[in-house]
Amino acid sequence: MDIQLKRGLLDVCVLKAIKNEDSYGYKIIKDMKPFVEISESTLYPILRRLEASGMLTVHSAEHNGRLRKYYRITDIGLERIEDFKSEWDEIISIYEFITKEDNNESV
Amino acid sequence: MNQCEFICELNRRLSGLPEEDINKSIDYYCELIDDYIEDGKSEEEAVAALGDIDDIVNQIYTDTPLSKIVKAKVKPNRALRAWEIILIVLGSPIWLSIMIAVLAVVFSVYIVLWSVVISLYSVVLSVAVTSLVLFIGILVSVLKGLFLNAVIFLALTLVLAGLTILLFVGTNYFAKAMIIVSKLIFKSIKQLFIGRGAK
Repeated sequence: MDIQLKRGLLDVCVLKAIKNEDSYGYKIIKDMKPFVEISESTLYPILRRLEASGMLTVHSAEHNGRLRKYYRITDIGLERIEDFKSEWDEIISIYEFITKEDNNESV
Repeated sequence: MNQCEFICELNRRLSGLPEEDINKSIDYYCELIDDYIEDGKSEEEAVAALGDIDDIVNQIYTDTPLSKIVKAKVKPNRALRAWEIILIVLGSPIWLSIMIAVLAVVFSVYIVLWSVVISLYSVVLSVAVTSLVLFIGILVSVLKGLFLNAVIFLALTLVLAGLTILLFVGTNYFAKAMIIVSKLIFKSIKQLFIGRGAK
């Protein structure tokens, strides 16, 4: 998939992965796996970018005698997911436009 | 590669970045390795699951702004000693002027490249205007009854109009190439600061 397009989509996917409960890197990747493949090195800059834009916060908590970073979604992050959902109608109509032309050519 | 080797390698390759960023990256990858191990993978398998270290390093550098890399490179590792500060101040007439000269050269190369583009566009414009004037010349000649002149003007108008189109297309390509070259220059400057890290 186009890198720019995928990047934007992955941002929202990561937000969704932490929407219902705080999560950590390994779990985010695992939760997303059935739907979209994301590598560890791709997730890292996304998390940092989302943190920088205030869509999530980071806090450390102890787990099995070591510290683990947990990511928590903020109101801005929740808003981003809602925005994406409303943008979806527009994306669908763009998709219909693109595929419609293909059909005309083949007929 | 085991966890320790991986962390050492990552630390070495990221040495061009601010320390805070390096630590954050290492924490992130350490945590992932630990989680993989907890999930039943061996240490080697866990490190392998993270993918190629080249990709990891490149990804981190690509997402770090140039200003941050420069800051990390320029910042000395320790406080400057008194005699070093004195030397820097006393030497300023030399290094300051050299630095300004280097910047001026880079800047002027940039200006020269773009003035070529601008002059090419003005040539295109002048050819186009001449062609237009000659077209008016045709009308005037016809009105005055100078048909031979009109034919010559018509020929010249067509030649110049064709030339305008060709030059315009060519100049557009040139301008696009200039944009690509400028980007390449910027990229190589960034690479210069990253240095051995990304290699």
